Amino acid sequence: MCRVDTWSRRSLVVGVLASIAAVAIVTAVIAVVKQWVPVLSLGVLYVFAVLPIAVVWGLWLALPVSIASMLAFNWFFLPPVHTFTLADSENWFALAVYLATAVVVSELAARARRRAAAAEQRERESALLAELSTELLRGRELGDELGEIGTRAAGVLGVGTAQIELGSERRPPPGTSPYLLEVADRTVGTIYVPAGSDPNVAARHRFLPALAALLAVAVDHDRLEHDALEAEALRRSDLVKTALLRAVSHDLRSPLTGIRTAVGALRNPTLQLSEEDRRELLETIDLDSDRLGRLVGDLLDLSRLEAGGAAPEAEVWSLDDLVREAIDALDARERVELSGEAPLVNVDATQIQRVLANLIENALKFSPPGAHVHVRITATRKEAIVRVVDQGPGLAEDELERVFEPFYRRGSDTRSGAGLGLAIARGFAAANGGRVWAESRPGQGATFALALPVVEVPAELQA
Amino acid sequence: MNGQRVLVVDDEPQILRALRATLRGAGYTVESAETAQGALTAAAAHPPEAVILDLVLPDGNGTDVCRELRSWSDAPVIVLSAVGEEKEKIAALDAGADDYVTKPFSVDELLARLRAVLRRRGAAPEPVIEVGDLRIDIAERVVTVDGRRVKLSPHEFDLLRVLAQNRGKLLTHRALLREVWGPAYEVEAHYLHVYVSHLRRKIEPDPASPRYLLTEPGAGYRLVDPANDDV
Repeated sequence: MCRVDTWSRRSLVVGVLASIAAVAIVTAVIAVVKQWVPVLSLGVLYVFAVLPIAVVWGLWLALPVSIASMLAFNWFFLPPVHTFTLADSENWFALAVYLATAVVVSELAARARRRAAAAEQRERESALLAELSTELLRGRELGDELGEIGTRAAGVLGVGTAQIELGSERRPPPGTSPYLLEVADRTVGTIYVPAGSDPNVAARHRFLPALAALLAVAVDHDRLEHDALEAEALRRSDLVKTALLRAVSHDLRSPLTGIRTAVGALRNPTLQLSEEDRRELLETIDLDSDRLGRLVGDLLDLSRLEAGGAAPEAEVWSLDDLVREAIDALDARERVELSGEAPLVNVDATQIQRVLANLIENALKFSPPGAHVHVRITATRKEAIVRVVDQGPGLAEDELERVFEPFYRRGSDTRSGAGLGLAIARGFAAANGGRVWAESRPGQGATFALALPVVEVPAELQA
Repeated sequence: MNGQRVLVVDDEPQILRALRATLRGAGYTVESAETAQGALTAAAAHPPEAVILDLVLPDGNGTDVCRELRSWSDAPVIVLSAVGEEKEKIAALDAGADDYVTKPFSVDELLARLRAVLRRRGAAPEPVIEVGDLRIDIAERVVTVDGRRVKLSPHEFDLLRVLAQNRGKLLTHRALLREVWGPAYEVEAHYLHVYVSHLRRKIEPDPASPRYLLTEPGAGYRLVDPANDDV
């Protein structure tokens, strides 16, 4: 109760003034009432001055007030009046009663006040802990929350500021003193409070261990989540590796088998090859070498994309030109119909042509012989969308995303390449700020869409 | 060359084309198919003397084709398999395929295997089989190596007989167990390994590096003539 801060200094002044007023009021009341009641019995009224002072300010002010009351009673009312001498020993008894009342009441009041303050403090602590546990266990990143937790812990500890560091203790920042946050034998972190400040002792013993336990759980939670993510990433990369092995087993081996068979036949002196056979064998070598080359190129592109090494060199292009170039590159002008708008996009032309060529090639592959593939370009203020629509068998709901996984093959198709085209298309689209997705219902053909952000045309250039 | 008809089944157009040219160059008449259904249709329309069959086809697998083919044709089948398709390969052999080559294969190896299966096909049952220095008298159950008689237990003799009657051909563990010990023993591969090692000690000049009774890892065994490099 002897905290000397601004609050208690102001309280001292108010308390003294209130005490003087209380004694004066009771004295005035006695002066009025004494004409009807024997004055000696009125001394008990000073209890009404001592009591409120004891309740509000405590014993340190209640004691002087009771002495002042006794002196005032003596001076104004007890014979001989206007002296401090006491004629009667009964008056000494009255004084003793006031003192005892003051002590008992103020002690009771102080105890109640301490309890209330302690309960309030505990409530603040547990409210903070409860809130923190909800937030931390809901999966908020612990690192982002530490500043806020520190500020609020400072409030609970009754210090100006507090800073929490996770991990083992380091050199405390200058001007702070450290308190360890420990659970069992584990040091979760350290809380630093301004040097010289004196955190509430009870709160320190009660609150800091609870905070430490909570932080420990949150740290473990974060780590487990991180581990789980890492395990998931590993599992996925394992899947990719398995898929890669399968692709290597089939897609690299097939052209290699063609080449090796053709070379073996051409070099075998016992075979009697006609001019036609010889030409066919050479063509096999030619085509299968191309296929191997494309496959190796695809694999390289894919690994570059996965490593984030496919930095686009963006320039402004008209999207319909890119589509036309892609169609020409596939030599597919006869089978592809292009319609729609001509929005401007800021992209790497080579990469986006690759995306479009892969989407169109895919559509052609799954179209019935002779059927056309339709390419439509639409544009909003923000986005340009190219839709490549085929008349093939379409995609089942669960295939819409899986077709973009590397090495995924649609249906029982064994001839559709390595299953890398769509994965590469999606990768290049993303590198250029776009998206690629599939829309379809089985039996209705598939639509593959590419969305790219459009470049705003300055008003003065618009036709 | 005699123009024997060979049916080639593979869904890879370039492999098919290279095989067609190769086999034509070796004097065979070549039919081809790209699907399981196409293979059966072609085999029914023009019964081939041998079939070269890819294990993975768009509308099914080579094993099913093999089994179906076996129910009405005794044309030998050589399976084209790849690393990673070992299970399929064994299944195809168990379903009646005669041999396999692994992609990418050498043309010489494929042609040698093809000659071997075609030769076996024409062979009539023999009372006495000679493989190199090995002479097996089926009727008398007598085996001599380089003129010297070796004593074999009944199971050892049966094992050698089955291998010799299919000399050059790869026999799967399952097939050998079935032939020698009976269908109930098809999964008791350790019987087979023990008897093969007994047999090698009795007939091989150097049992540690066998020249007659060869192991095809993960597939089965094959009895060959060390002097004949066809197989």
